[in-house]
Amino acid sequence: MTTTNTVATKEGFAEVKAAKLSTLGFFMALPPVLVVILFVGLPIFVAFIFSIGYTGGPNRVISIIGQDIYKKDSWWGTADAYLAVVKDPRFLPDFALTMVVTFVSTLVVLTMAMGMGLYQRIKGGKVASVLSMLSLVPLFVPVVIAAYAIAQFYNGVGFMRTFMAQFGIEFPVITATRNAIIIGTIWTSLPFAILMITSGLQSVPNALIETAQDAGASFMRIVRTILIPLAFVPIVIAGTFTAIGIMGSFTVPLFLGPNQPTMLGVEISNFFTAYNRPQQSIVMAFIIFAAASGIAVLYIWANIRSAKQSGRI
Amino acid sequence: MSNATHGLELIGLTKILGGRVIIDNLNLTVEKGEMVSLLGPSGCGKTTTLRMIAGFLIPEKGTVNVAGKDVTNLGPEKRPSAMVFQNYALWPHMTVFKNVAYPLKIRKMGKAEIEKRVHEVLEVVNLMHHKDSRPGQISGGEQQRVALARALVQEPDILLLDEPLSNLDAKLRVKVREDIRDLQRRLGITTVIVTHDQDEALSISDRIAVMNEGRIEQFSTPQDLYDQPATEYVANFIGSLNRIEGGYADGQVIPGNEVVGIRPEDVSFSKSQVAGSYPATVELVVPRGHFHEVYLKRADASLRAFVSIDVPKAGDIGFAKVSKALVYKDGKLVRTA
Repeated sequence: MTTTNTVATKEGFAEVKAAKLSTLGFFMALPPVLVVILFVGLPIFVAFIFSIGYTGGPNRVISIIGQDIYKKDSWWGTADAYLAVVKDPRFLPDFALTMVVTFVSTLVVLTMAMGMGLYQRIKGGKVASVLSMLSLVPLFVPVVIAAYAIAQFYNGVGFMRTFMAQFGIEFPVITATRNAIIIGTIWTSLPFAILMITSGLQSVPNALIETAQDAGASFMRIVRTILIPLAFVPIVIAGTFTAIGIMGSFTVPLFLGPNQPTMLGVEISNFFTAYNRPQQSIVMAFIIFAAASGIAVLYIWANIRSAKQSGRI
Repeated sequence: MSNATHGLELIGLTKILGGRVIIDNLNLTVEKGEMVSLLGPSGCGKTTTLRMIAGFLIPEKGTVNVAGKDVTNLGPEKRPSAMVFQNYALWPHMTVFKNVAYPLKIRKMGKAEIEKRVHEVLEVVNLMHHKDSRPGQISGGEQQRVALARALVQEPDILLLDEPLSNLDAKLRVKVREDIRDLQRRLGITTVIVTHDQDEALSISDRIAVMNEGRIEQFSTPQDLYDQPATEYVANFIGSLNRIEGGYADGQVIPGNEVVGIRPEDVSFSKSQVAGSYPATVELVVPRGHFHEVYLKRADASLRAFVSIDVPKAGDIGFAKVSKALVYKDGKLVRTA
């Protein structure tokens, strides 16, 4: 009898302890959730209803100050602000530039990161370690400084042109072109992609590669059929994060890009501050958000695919 | 000169890793269709030897001949061998069928032929019902059999198994090792298996190479290794042993500079004296399941005996007899008595 009571008491304590821990866990998770709801979720909601013509309430002041404000003309709002942006002669070239830069930069970043990751995974050794360390340097250089340095390096009187002129070669001015933005975004995006992809490739056990070798697979076949599929999720994460980051980038295109067309990150800022057309800038932000969401779907799909493969779902 | 009748020949194999000699002038010949175990403790060089046979490591010196062909400098993808790894190394993103079909796809075989051969080999390992499952959805024993099927489908000249049973629980291990042995006999495939488990090696192999510090101490049949261990190291490693320093004469240990090895099953205890037995006291009796381990104290030595019938009790006084002793000098077997 005494023993039973002791056990029951111990179980009771365990239950109380578990309940306390559960409450503690809830309160520990609450602050970031509240921050996201209050400082991200709510502003997004307010901005969205502003973009479809809800100009009252929290949007009242900005509606009075801003120019070319479209007000709702039906119960759900209006799409006039969206139509105005799409019809604006600046928008489509800006959008095209944003997409081209995003696509090309992401492709180059992923290719370079895969190259580096595969070199480290297959070859290893000191050279690979040094290269890996060097590839992370951009993480520790503020974007604004890197962008300024790149601008100076490739401008009309920059190092490249001066240096090449010594050999009678006229090096093109790259600063203020689309290519300069691509160079800048590669610089800023590469370290994260290398970290993600390298860790993904490193996590593939040696035995899985050796078994493929033993079965007669060439290096390229091992990469294609074993390494890439097994590191697929980190590769997709690197790709989606890189693409979304580049799509919404501001500093690099501001410093290195042309004035017109320019990337949407810069154009949003121009519309908001210089042109005083806040509703259109918000519309552009939502268009970028929609494009980024498309990429995010890829990320979710990759995770579900991986979970299915490993039997988790 | 390589011999085409041998399944495998290792001639003067030497491997240095990190400045240390891991394999030292190793010679081994495996006949076609034979199953040989490389047995030894961790770090003795058995996996290194296997990896040199598979082509994952290239020896500093020596030759590897597989089915009469010198493959020493060929990479693993070019060797006529197939290896089953310790953790099975199944590709988790492929189904069982795709795992097994992979080597055939590389050989650019037709779709119908691939399907036929994969089905055949999955029938052999009794896994047809799991052909569409992924490795994460099947048990450890089944994964083991998939790995085996993937190796067998390549129809290699030699099958290499690296501790294939070490990740399985005790019961499953016995079952799978019998399956492997049965399969190997049916297919008549030359097989080299690496293990540190003497039970596994003794029960599965035609011959066993006992390895120590990169060398083969003895290469013989399981029975011969047990009955006539050529070195003290082998005698200690295979089975249990009473090891006593001294000499041996008239069924008892005498002063001397040799080492006497007595298997516990070669020691018997009885209440009455028989020829060659000497007075002994039972000090301890430890039940070991189907037998008892009896610790005996005799005037010449303390002995362990394995007893399964008429088990004495601690404190009993009687007579202990040694029916066989192995006598070693400088680590080498000099005589059995």
